[in-house]
Amino acid sequence: MGVQRFRSIEEMNATPLPRRSEDGFERFIRHNARYRLLSPRQYQRGVFRFRSLEEAQRARRELLAKSVPR
Amino acid sequence: MDRDEVLRALGALEKAGADYVVIGAAAMGFHDVVRATDGLDLLARAARENIDRIRTALREAYPDDPAVDEIRADDLLGEYPAVRYFPPSGDLYFDLVTRLGEMATYESVEAETKEVEGTRVRVAPPAALYRLKKGTVGPLDRQDAAVLKSHFDLEEDA
Repeated sequence: MGVQRFRSIEEMNATPLPRRSEDGFERFIRHNARYRLLSPRQYQRGVFRFRSLEEAQRARRELLAKSVPR
Repeated sequence: MDRDEVLRALGALEKAGADYVVIGAAAMGFHDVVRATDGLDLLARAARENIDRIRTALREAYPDDPAVDEIRADDLLGEYPAVRYFPPSGDLYFDLVTRLGEMATYESVEAETKEVEGTRVRVAPPAALYRLKKGTVGPLDRQDAAVLKSHFDLEEDA
């Protein structure tokens, strides 16, 4: 399906995107690859321990905020 | 996140006989609800031999990284139920969790088996992910919960 035509933005937004038949894992991997091309990150390697899920999630947010571009 | 690297790690977990369930955004991806993440979240059965198997698997996936040996059962079964491992590749990390607060353990979360290129992966189904997501406080988790609820037409108390 090369080109789709719509009579309005509403009609366009309500129309599901055509997808290739493939499983979610492949889409997930390709999506992450594209995302990291746009926003590359390089994490410090190693093992880190957390006393709770909340502590781990807080660390994840901080990490995303300060991880350095390659 | 390199496809081959992810498959190598998941394959090593299967080969080692590790009991785990993929949760989080990667699990959503298996169900075709895709958002970006760098983390592969694994809810692991809280048993010493299982943590040993996970360490064995990661040692096989990353044979040149001595940091793998810092993943310790004493931590995951004790004071540190969440351990984050950053492998040398640098753009992917593993969150190993043995309990999610008072909310969930490996035994309390349903799992289904997905197969990717011959590798069997245990993944939490959408309703289980929704319950985990809606029970946590992070804004991204709340957003994930809303997407899961809508995408799979889940009941509020699914």
